[in-house]
Amino acid sequence: MSGSEKKIMLDLKNIRKSFGNVMVLKGVSAQIREGELATFVGPSGCGKTTLLRIIGGLTNQDSGDVIVDGQNINNVTPDKRGTQMCFQNYALFPHMTVAQNVGYGLDVHGWEKSRTKERVEELLGLVQLQGLGNRYIEKLSGGQQQRVALARALALEPKILLLDEPLSNLDANLRVQMRGTLLEIQKRVGITTIFVTHDQSEAMSISDRLFVMNKGNIEQIGSPLEIYQSPNSAFIAGFVGYVNILGGTIKKHPGKETEELCAAVKTDFGSLDIVTNGICLEEGNKIDLVVRPEAIRILPPKQSLGVNEFKGRVKTMMYAGSMVKYVVEIGDTRIIVDQFDPINEGLHEVGQECCVIMPQKVHVLNQ
Amino acid sequence: MTEMVISTDEKSVWERGKNLLSANLINITALISFVILGVFLIWPVTALFLKSIQGPEGFTLHYYREFLTKSYYYRSFFNTLFLGILTTSVCVFVGFCTAYMTTRGPVYLRKALRIISLLPIIAPPYIFALSLIILMGRSGILTKTFDLSWSIYGFVGCVIAQTLSFLPLAYIMIENSLSTLNPNLEDSASNLGASEQKILRSITIPLCAPGILKAALIVFVLSIAEFGNVALLSGRTPFLAPDVYIMITGAESNFNMGSVLSVFLMIPCLAIFLIQGYIIKGKGYTTILGKPVAAEPRSISTPMLIIFAPVTILAALLILITFGVVGAGAFTKIIGINNTFVWEHILSTRADSALFNSVKISLITGFLGAVVGIILAYVIERGKFKGRTFLEFLSLSGFALPGTALAIGYILAFSKPPLHLTGTLIILVLCCVFREFVVGVEAGSGKLKQLSTEMEDASANLGANTVTTFWRIVLPIIFPAFIYGFIYGFMRTMVTLSAVIFLATPRTYMASIFIFETGTFGELGLACATSLKLILIVAISLIVLQFLSRWTGLSVTRSQGVGAA
Repeated sequence: MSGSEKKIMLDLKNIRKSFGNVMVLKGVSAQIREGELATFVGPSGCGKTTLLRIIGGLTNQDSGDVIVDGQNINNVTPDKRGTQMCFQNYALFPHMTVAQNVGYGLDVHGWEKSRTKERVEELLGLVQLQGLGNRYIEKLSGGQQQRVALARALALEPKILLLDEPLSNLDANLRVQMRGTLLEIQKRVGITTIFVTHDQSEAMSISDRLFVMNKGNIEQIGSPLEIYQSPNSAFIAGFVGYVNILGGTIKKHPGKETEELCAAVKTDFGSLDIVTNGICLEEGNKIDLVVRPEAIRILPPKQSLGVNEFKGRVKTMMYAGSMVKYVVEIGDTRIIVDQFDPINEGLHEVGQECCVIMPQKVHVLNQ
Repeated sequence: MTEMVISTDEKSVWERGKNLLSANLINITALISFVILGVFLIWPVTALFLKSIQGPEGFTLHYYREFLTKSYYYRSFFNTLFLGILTTSVCVFVGFCTAYMTTRGPVYLRKALRIISLLPIIAPPYIFALSLIILMGRSGILTKTFDLSWSIYGFVGCVIAQTLSFLPLAYIMIENSLSTLNPNLEDSASNLGASEQKILRSITIPLCAPGILKAALIVFVLSIAEFGNVALLSGRTPFLAPDVYIMITGAESNFNMGSVLSVFLMIPCLAIFLIQGYIIKGKGYTTILGKPVAAEPRSISTPMLIIFAPVTILAALLILITFGVVGAGAFTKIIGINNTFVWEHILSTRADSALFNSVKISLITGFLGAVVGIILAYVIERGKFKGRTFLEFLSLSGFALPGTALAIGYILAFSKPPLHLTGTLIILVLCCVFREFVVGVEAGSGKLKQLSTEMEDASANLGANTVTTFWRIVLPIIFPAFIYGFIYGFMRTMVTLSAVIFLATPRTYMASIFIFETGTFGELGLACATSLKLILIVAISLIVLQFLSRWTGLSVTRSQGVGAA
């Protein structure tokens, strides 16, 4: 994706960190551009929060450099690094009002009262909490507290905003709503933001770029679209959404057609014609096909099966209103299939036979 | 919690009686508790109060008038209050510095400071007075070496001795507050540019204020009520607790004035207890939320270190010196005057019967106190009856009643039939039990609060009645609280002086009284030796407690009730 014209705001060079015997970060490098909303996402224990704390100066790395806007800030104290951290539990001062919380940083830097008051009101307006300056923190809802924490962090106009799982403490509906609010505020202020979460759908929906982490390494960097469509590994494919990983062998390789490569793949349940760009396919190669459940169609059983069409039996069905998730057995293989608009398309009951149409465009991984 | 047993078959009167009993067991126990507390807590206090207004011709306020007009008396009262304020200020300050140092100071100092600051728990509080007298008394070692004209007697000595002996209590409560403070709050503030001083002033102290205040109130109450240190170090300055002693045990035993003095001793304590109960209770900022972060050890900045470290280290040194002096005193002929090493004090058997009595009484008290405490805790936590809050208030009040006052009350209440108990072992045990059972109640309540009522409901659902549920479900889980109450009651009774000094007789002599008297009469070697033995016994019981608590999972230090008076 474009964006290389923007300057690099954060440069991480080979960050290593161990806690005791456990190596939590194994030499992580990354570059974040100005104004970008970058998300570090990964399962628990992958090191994302530690990395965030290292950037913020709350934890010291064992080796490696953190460079913000061209300056190496390895030994700089947290308040002078140009970063501001928003904690998962907000860390709002319970004995102070909203205005006192938001204005704390300004107060500490010696701003005079009138100027602080002005800026606090400006910030409260930004996060849509105008008028709530005199409330005490415990009287606010989770979403409101989140926004106070944000306003407090933005008060000193940091270069980089660090958000540590900011939405984890909110209930499901509020979380989705707050995603939009956060994104809007970030874009309006234009501040470089690093977001840490274990929730992949959250990461996908708001990020400019994702940094997918696993066991102390960054496994893939890319836009949500790139990561979802072209994951580098089965792990990443499975992490960002439900996926069917189907193993197979290249049988026929007729050559290039336009930009894309065609091949026939022999799998356990039959032969598939695929069209893919990316890796080089030789006959006999063992590969994994990354097939997303929403790309597979499920139809009532057919007598004659065409290309990429297979006979299957519905094993389980989960009805979720706008869509249905099926587990369909084709021979010995189980695949997950999503069906949208089930009322018009027709529900398939458990135990029934059905016809499953696999897509031709798939992403391919080497085994 | 209890449900009607609906059944259609015929039950015998006995069966029905049993069912009724079981269903109302909590209420019956509550009633019994009320009666017991009424007789052994409310009645003595009432007797005390009555005596203070009772003259040869009946009701009179003569003695109160005496108190309020004779400058000696009201000076004594104000001195006591003033001492309370001084001790509280110093003790809480030192306690805060120490807690700050052990949670944020240099890592290599933390463990040592913590252990030393908790050391006074195992010692009778008056060893600090003993040590100060040995070092800086009229013929004290330092007084003679440096030719000091400065006197340790009076306010200075009392404040120092009391501060050191109540330090563990203040330390534990403040440290509890400090360590449960969400570290992210201070990180945030630091992130926003605040210096450590600013953070301390605007974040740390305000958020710890409830804990600090609670510590302050408790130290104040203990300071007013304390007898040992004050009696030994007051010199010519009058204070209430020793005055009560002089009044009652002096040549003309004046119980009337004695009761008036005791009432005045009680009033500030009860007032503070009420303030603490109704205003402070439940106020505290819950600051821990969300998952814990792998945190680095916190650190302290140099300017803060320069202030906090000397205070803490000085206090720790004084504590160590005290133990050292007592140890030295036990093994020298007459410390300061004839420093030859001798075994005679340690090997002396004069204190043996007193020590034996102390252990005997403490064991009984510990056991009874824990039993009463646990039963009360259960009744209070699980019962739904009128007056539950009052029962709770009564149970916790033992902590607030000065030992001297309660003891006098006991003498007045039980010197005649139907309960003629003065001079017996029983009265000693009872007085101690009703001062110490509060620890069992607190520990029991704490454990019961953790235990969900649903577990007991499940047991009842499966057919068990109240007794069975209590015996098979509740008791095993709150057993650690029982152990804790027992050993704690034991430890505190071993070192208690203020209550027992009035109630003991030559037959029921206790070690703390022996130490006090030998100390007062100048037999310092014997006083120190007996103190050492006492400390040893208490230390062993504390180690047993630590071992048992680790085994059963109940934390020792996160609680109240650490002081002794």
